[in-house]
Amino acid sequence: MRLLGAELVESREILPGQFIQALHAPHLATGSRAGQFVHVRTGDLSGLVLRRPFSINTADPSSGTVTVHFRTVGRGTEWLTRLRPGDPVDVLGPLGRPFEVDARSRHLLLIAGGLGIAGVRMLVDEAIRDGRQVTLLFGAASARDVYPSSLLPDEVEYVVATDDGSLGHGGYVTELVPQYEAWADQGFACGPAPMLAALSRLAATRRQRLGVAKLGRKRGAGRPDQPGSAAARRKAFLQVSMEQNMGCAVGACLGCVVMGASGTPLRVCREGPVFAAEELDWEAGW
Amino acid sequence: MRARRRVVTLRETRPAAPRRPTIARRTASAPASGVERVPIAGPPVIRADTPVDLSIELGRGLVLPNPVLVASGTFGYGVEYGEVVEVERLGGICCKGTTLRPRIGNVTPRVTETPGGMLNSIGLQNPGVDAVVDRYTATWAGWRVPVIVNVAGESVSDYVEVVSRLDGVPGVAGIELNISCPNVGKGGMQFAIDADAAGSVTAAVRRMTDLPLLVKLSPNVADVRPIARAIADAGADALTAVNTLSGIAVAPSRTRPLLGNVYGGVSGPAIKPIALRVVYEVAQVVDIPIVGIGGVTELADVLDFLAVGAVAVQVGTAIFADPTLPVRLVDELTGACRARGLDSHRPLIGTALPRRTGASSAKGAEYRP
Ligand SMILES: Cc1cc2nc3c(=O)[nH]c(=O)nc-3n(C[C@H](O)[C@H](O)[C@H](O)COP(=O)(O)O)c2cc1C
Ligand code: FES
Repeated sequence: MRLLGAELVESREILPGQFIQALHAPHLATGSRAGQFVHVRTGDLSGLVLRRPFSINTADPSSGTVTVHFRTVGRGTEWLTRLRPGDPVDVLGPLGRPFEVDARSRHLLLIAGGLGIAGVRMLVDEAIRDGRQVTLLFGAASARDVYPSSLLPDEVEYVVATDDGSLGHGGYVTELVPQYEAWADQGFACGPAPMLAALSRLAATRRQRLGVAKLGRKRGAGRPDQPGSAAARRKAFLQVSMEQNMGCAVGACLGCVVMGASGTPLRVCREGPVFAAEELDWEAGW
Repeated sequence: MRARRRVVTLRETRPAAPRRPTIARRTASAPASGVERVPIAGPPVIRADTPVDLSIELGRGLVLPNPVLVASGTFGYGVEYGEVVEVERLGGICCKGTTLRPRIGNVTPRVTETPGGMLNSIGLQNPGVDAVVDRYTATWAGWRVPVIVNVAGESVSDYVEVVSRLDGVPGVAGIELNISCPNVGKGGMQFAIDADAAGSVTAAVRRMTDLPLLVKLSPNVADVRPIARAIADAGADALTAVNTLSGIAVAPSRTRPLLGNVYGGVSGPAIKPIALRVVYEVAQVVDIPIVGIGGVTELADVLDFLAVGAVAVQVGTAIFADPTLPVRLVDELTGACRARGLDSHRPLIGTALPRRTGASSAKGAEYRP
């Protein structure tokens, strides 16, 4: 984690109201992993007093750039869209804990709902670089909001669901999951809370339903891993990237918690944003 | 009696700071108004490398190396920002509110931005005093920056018990009582809005400990002065002002309030005028030191709080946007003192207070349009 003076390289509206911005920040480009995020300062202190958290969408060490992907939802994101190439951007990062892929996992199932694509996008690149097979299930309200396939590497199998049936499967993206469950060694998801809750219910019953063995003998056996530990995530079938309103993004203010399975709130910015699905209490409602 | 750790001033070459801050009076040659108060009688004699002593005593031997602290709840336990902040250059750290038993806090959402500030309803999530002592005090004891433990409770005995477990622990430099908590014994009425309750909790804690005792005022009261007086009379060493203002936000759907807890506390630049008013009023009715809190985002804010009688300030919300701000303010305050030919910030304290403190407070201070 560092405070970085980044520079805006490019800003592109990829979908109506959705932007991808490239920032020159070599420390982030080389030092971050899929699932981590940055906390970006917007505007001046008297007006906008909080930074905005964004998943690191992609990282390119050769050019020293990272990208973030966001929708304009308020004054902070609108302020960002007014930046021009060359403008300085104050970035705190990389923050939070990344996705952990088990070394033995060959087939990765990624599930993204809407802007949740930004949370798993970098994992696509990492997994393909490491020679794994990736299927990305993407859900949106309608064809208008579907992430352009041109922004994804060719190697990924990209399957789309839209609520109104205007493109791909008509219905929720979670309805596609059963077809891939047996194939997948691990799943990684980011999106609206109800989607993640539905996926966690699927993951919890997966072994019984499919009758599949766990990867390796020791997996899941013995003492439970510490919440937030890399091992807890690596052993999980499903890892989720959570979102929450944030203040500090470094673990100091306790503004960003989600309820952990053990009854202790966990900080999205510190123990997360990536959690093993079973580390969280999906019934608590927060 | 257990041996008590004392925080010692860093600058042994100077006499210790006075227990009561000397309130600078206007002289005939000083400008009557305006923010820049550069003495015009004679040019500054302080050279660029002349040391400026920013240390300030809050009472019972608690000497802050400089008057810029970080506010409770915005800086965790001092360790979270890691290398991003040079914690040892801060004037002091007020840690997250600490209670007797662990608390899981309020339902989310807990924070949101508001015009010129933010709302929070963390609900005092903390691991409990014993865990705080276990996990953090050894680290604090190795720091030269004093760590003041912010203490919260639901009854007088809660407060006393928490403080008794902090008393004598190396690394604990002082106590800041957060009395903006519902008093279960008094039907949930906050200690902070009732002079009797505020006085009795202060007195009870005072009997328990010789640690430097700060009490944090709430701005959510009609008149803060009787409360401040009761706390001072009960033996507090210093006052900190202010805590957050009660407020709400509405969810984008407009079908419910936004925060999970409905109510939250407003902080940030939006509350600075209110915080200044509270310090201004309290400074005229007590003679213990006051630490100003509320919306500090730049040097001018520090100077404003000093001018209305604060001896030091705490920075809270602004840390989230700019974690390096508090340390930078220390440097900027040093520069501001040099520019005014001062070797300490003490002459800047109280310059905007009415000439005769106390008696003249009836004019203006009472006027609430
Ligand atoms: C997220 C957050 C948590 C806070 N938690 C506490 C707390 O535990 N105890 C306390 O006395 N004050 C707490 N406060 C209040 C601050 O210490 C401070 O009094 C207030 O924010 C005003 O200062 P500011 O405008 O510089 O933020 C909290 C404030 C914020 C923003
Ligand atoms: S945002 Fe402050 S603890 Fe996570």
